[in-house]
Amino acid sequence: MAGEMENTKQLEILASMGRDFAASGDIKSVFLTGLERIAAMLNAEGGALFLLDENGDKLVCHAGFGPVDISGLTINATDGIVGRVVSAGVGEIVRDVSKDPSFNNVVDKKSGFTTRSILCAPLGVKGEKIGAIEVVNKHGGDNLFSNEDLKLLETLAASASLAILNARMAIELVEKEKMARELELAAEIQKSLLPPDGETDSPVAGVNLAARVVSGDFYDFFELEDGRTCFTLADVSGKGMNAALLMAKTASLFRCLGKETPYPGNLIARINAEVVETSSRGMFVTMMIGIYDPKEGTVRIANAGHEPPLLVMADGAVRSFPASMPPVGILPDIAMGKPPEETIINLDGGAFYVFTDGVTEGYIGEKELGADGFIKLINDGKNSLPRERISAIAKHIKDGSSALRDDVTILVVDDAMAFAKRKKKNTKQDNKNKSDGSGGYGRMAKIVVPATAESLKLVRRVAESASANCGFSNDATQDIVLAVDEACQNVIRHAYDGVNAGDMIINISRNAQSLIIEIRDFAQRVDPEKIHPRDLGDVRPGGLGTHFINEVMDKVEFKVPNDGKKNNEGNLLVLTKSLK
Amino acid sequence: MEISVSETAGVNVVALSGEIDLQTSPKLRGELLGLIANKKPLVVEMSDVSYMDSSGVASLVEAFQTARSKNLGFSLAAIGEAPLRVLKLARLDGVFVIHDTLENAISANGEN
Repeated sequence: MAGEMENTKQLEILASMGRDFAASGDIKSVFLTGLERIAAMLNAEGGALFLLDENGDKLVCHAGFGPVDISGLTINATDGIVGRVVSAGVGEIVRDVSKDPSFNNVVDKKSGFTTRSILCAPLGVKGEKIGAIEVVNKHGGDNLFSNEDLKLLETLAASASLAILNARMAIELVEKEKMARELELAAEIQKSLLPPDGETDSPVAGVNLAARVVSGDFYDFFELEDGRTCFTLADVSGKGMNAALLMAKTASLFRCLGKETPYPGNLIARINAEVVETSSRGMFVTMMIGIYDPKEGTVRIANAGHEPPLLVMADGAVRSFPASMPPVGILPDIAMGKPPEETIINLDGGAFYVFTDGVTEGYIGEKELGADGFIKLINDGKNSLPRERISAIAKHIKDGSSALRDDVTILVVDDAMAFAKRKKKNTKQDNKNKSDGSGGYGRMAKIVVPATAESLKLVRRVAESASANCGFSNDATQDIVLAVDEACQNVIRHAYDGVNAGDMIINISRNAQSLIIEIRDFAQRVDPEKIHPRDLGDVRPGGLGTHFINEVMDKVEFKVPNDGKKNNEGNLLVLTKSLK
Repeated sequence: MEISVSETAGVNVVALSGEIDLQTSPKLRGELLGLIANKKPLVVEMSDVSYMDSSGVASLVEAFQTARSKNLGFSLAAIGEAPLRVLKLARLDGVFVIHDTLENAISANGEN
């Protein structure tokens, strides 16, 4: 009869512990309630529940009750009576702890409590050790724990072990769900960052197809006041909420700073400085920023660690542009003491593609698409509008893969339409020039001088009198003289490599709107993409000339000579200053 | 370009005149760096400079940085409109120490 009563009580404890574990997220309080019930059943004065830590080398008291609360106490996994029980996986009755050499009396000494006897049972499931439950100092009867008590504790411990494992699994499940929710949120953030589609025939267009797991891709573009378009495509390392937040930060920095810093290199450097200050360790962003000028048919880009963009010309020729800087978020000074490198690319009617590795690493059937496959898809769609073309490519990759491993993001800048417009305008202009019989602009001065430092004084005098004759103010004349001088210096120092290898022809003319200065040399062809202005934040000698020229003149153009002189070898720089 | 060097109150004074360009700036650079090696503060008087290009700016920047690394005073004095315009274009007008007159520059360096 008494036995049955006991059994019912045991069942009650077990049932309630299971219920509590299921209902409560607060495992500690469930442990404590369970422990109190067990101790009450055994008439024990106090009790404690120890669990092995993650590494299994420490035992931590997760719940304790009685005259002395030892919860939080941490001991080595093999120390004390608890350690012995856990190691052996066998429960023990220690009727007189003072005779047990394993007994650790530190707590007693500190608290003044006297532990007389201990009953301890291991917690574990199928050989996996979890910890142990112990109760101390039995009241009533002979004040000694019995074998029945041990059996009861062991039964309870076995059930508690299951309950603990269940609870742990439940926590894991909750964590997983939390993560899934987080990923959904991150996907929302990502989607909200993408710009709305522009006009259907917009020359700049982007597409993003999200993989099931959010990656950190984004693109954005907006028009500057002067009609140029600033665009970016970036890929944040890592996935999930942290990546989404870094992406949101980078995207808003691009929007904010892009309007006041219309130079891609400097813009990346500024975004980098902000991101480095706050981003968490090990996270970075590969980023390409560019500015498209439809009037000139150029893009000016800076590439921080991003997949090389591709330029695909109308005739099918392809060029790629590898990164010149490390990704954003790693170095405090991304350009490492130099001016941030920019590349100016002549599109000449071609289309410029920026994309993430989700494109080239996308699978079509069993095979990775690769750059070649991507170019083939571009050519397949060359008769469609830019946005249709990249949407079709993205869809093709999505359909071709059983599951997208990574986001597919593509941005295109297509110069074809602007190219046609420019051509039409030029033809008109040419006809106009022909009809007025002047054969072009009104010539003011032409000098041929050796490309040496000694010639500069003469060049300056000629440029000075030409600008003054155009009615420029004294200050403006000084500026123009400086720009022409600097442009000739570039020829002397760079084009002829410091060796006096030939002549420079300086041709100054004007039309109704502008003063035009052409500087022609016969040195090796200079790659205008390699010429970039200096970063003004950086105080050091050299590299200033190009900045002066850009600052002073309204237009600076590198052209391929077409005057027939020396088989059109060499370079032609055209500087234009508006008369207004 | 003409360069004349004198010493006043323990300060080396370099007075420049004429045009500083690619042809003449190497001489300026050599002169300034040579004087900094004398370990005296340096004032560059520029009232008669009619033209200065980027190579002239570069020479001044290099001298300025070298002087600073040796804890020597380096300032520009009585700088004319034309070269000041170039320094402004280079956004360096706030980087150099610039005094209105040579006297002010010398006394400021004396105090240092």
